[in-house]
Amino acid sequence: MAITSLKFILFIAIISLIYFVAPKKFRWCILLVASYIYYFISSSKLTVFLIVSTLSIYLTALWITKIEEKTKEKCKNKEKTLKKELKAKLAKNKKLILLLAILINFGILIFLKYGNFISININKIFKIANIGIKLPLREIILPLGISYYTLQAISYVVDVYRGKYKAEKHFGKVALFLTFFPQMLEGPIGNFGDLSSQLYEGHDFEYNRVKFSLQLMLWGFFKKLVIADRAALCVNEIFSNYNNYTGVAILMAIILYTVQIYADFSGCIDIVRGIAQIFGVNLAENFKRPFFSKSISEFWRRWHITLGAWLREYIFYPISFSKVCINITTWSKKIFKGYIGKLIPAAFALFFVWFGNGIWHGASWKYVFYGLYYYILTILGMLFEPLFNKIIEIFKIDNKSFGYRLWQMIRTSIIVLGGMLIFRAYRLKTAWIMFKSIFTFEGIDKLFNGELFKIGFETYDFVILLIGIIIMFVIGLLQEKGYNIREKISKQNLVFRWLLYYGVIFAILIFGIYGEGYSASSFIYGQF
Amino acid sequence: MEELLEILKEIKPDVNFENNKNLIDDDILDSFDIVTIVAAIDKEFDIQITAKDILPENFNSVEAIYNLIQKIEEE
Repeated sequence: MAITSLKFILFIAIISLIYFVAPKKFRWCILLVASYIYYFISSSKLTVFLIVSTLSIYLTALWITKIEEKTKEKCKNKEKTLKKELKAKLAKNKKLILLLAILINFGILIFLKYGNFISININKIFKIANIGIKLPLREIILPLGISYYTLQAISYVVDVYRGKYKAEKHFGKVALFLTFFPQMLEGPIGNFGDLSSQLYEGHDFEYNRVKFSLQLMLWGFFKKLVIADRAALCVNEIFSNYNNYTGVAILMAIILYTVQIYADFSGCIDIVRGIAQIFGVNLAENFKRPFFSKSISEFWRRWHITLGAWLREYIFYPISFSKVCINITTWSKKIFKGYIGKLIPAAFALFFVWFGNGIWHGASWKYVFYGLYYYILTILGMLFEPLFNKIIEIFKIDNKSFGYRLWQMIRTSIIVLGGMLIFRAYRLKTAWIMFKSIFTFEGIDKLFNGELFKIGFETYDFVILLIGIIIMFVIGLLQEKGYNIREKISKQNLVFRWLLYYGVIFAILIFGIYGEGYSASSFIYGQF
Repeated sequence: MEELLEILKEIKPDVNFENNKNLIDDDILDSFDIVTIVAAIDKEFDIQITAKDILPENFNSVEAIYNLIQKIEEE
């Protein structure tokens, strides 16, 4: 059931109706049932993996809380040394339970998503070493949202382990946290602390909240159906037949793919956040106008925010504070001193973050390279930061001026375009061929005679796409300046508001791209 | 507190730690700064700040960081 389908909209309408009619204290149960219905329709038998994950985190988190409480009880009126011993034993046991939860959840993910990738690479090594064993490959079938809910599952147990909150005693409530249906397709990756109370509290129907939700959904549909799916027509043509195109056309495909993936992913998140808002649940923001970023680090704080936050919280910090990293810090400070001394431990911890980011996106070396591409650029940026600062100082460049900030944004966008080329190209080799062909500058004449705008679609599509991009840019710019668009709209008079709503609805209906059988193409990030 | 302020100023000389109460929320300190600050505090105060202590509310101001150190010392 695609979330851009009529069936899904009808499903939301029915669930909303039942939710608001049901007694307040059972409303979370409606969401749980709806979530499982949605999940079962999408994944049928594979739902079993979701149930195993839910059970594993429910039991291990409870176990942690239980042994914590027991130790607390035992420590009462005991002398200091005994208390210390009990606490040390508790810490050890907690670690083992956490390890079990991580093994189960990452184990399922690795087996289902990365099994073939690992087998293929082991087979290659066997072949080189002349070992006559060949590991079998199997058909890859992934349960819906496994890459998202696994991270969410791990975060729950780790947070309980860290003592952020106690384990939830109700199995159904843990199940809802992990399965809340709007999140299952593309996130955002939530955490229990933010979501639990919102999910379990029965929310009343509030006109303004529901109105804002629908506006957000409408904007998401516009981005997905009018912009992303239209850009895809040209992008798919050029990326599939890259040998037939050169120079300017390839560059246009990369730019349009970047537009496509942003409109697609952020559009989906807007729809998803809109749906959740109907039920009074505020899901975390996943995008904050990333193309206004002045550096790569800032870009990743504004693009797929919840993945970045997860990697920071559960990979970067634990590694940074691990004994190995502390030893590296001490060693590098002794040898290098100053800035480089600080950079080495950061580079060590960041490697795992970017490797994790890359491999999370897909089971292939291309995605590993995608992560490492950003890793290398981030480290180079950090390495040369003192030099850049010196240049700014010597040449008295005003780094707060509009011109300088614009240059920083353009520089960041160019780096992002490189990343998107790796991301979209069929293989790394293809990305390299396409990258080289940009510099042939062939086909500039096609830019002027209009032929460039007829690749994969008609000039008419290109014009609509361009208008869509301009609208998206202006709205982004206004938001960047601090305008709350939805509030501004709500202050306009009735006629203007409804003209605007109908305008957007008709724009989606008339200019939206609907594939065969009137179903929009699936969301790009849904495949991860 | 004075010792802590010295550590912080050595790491980020351009930040006004005395008056700023939103060091994390206002993006004045990023994750790299946190790691450097934690490593320095661990060494100077002979404590161990772990990943579970890395919450925005523990690093938003010099007072908050100081309270965190005291809490860990008491444990």
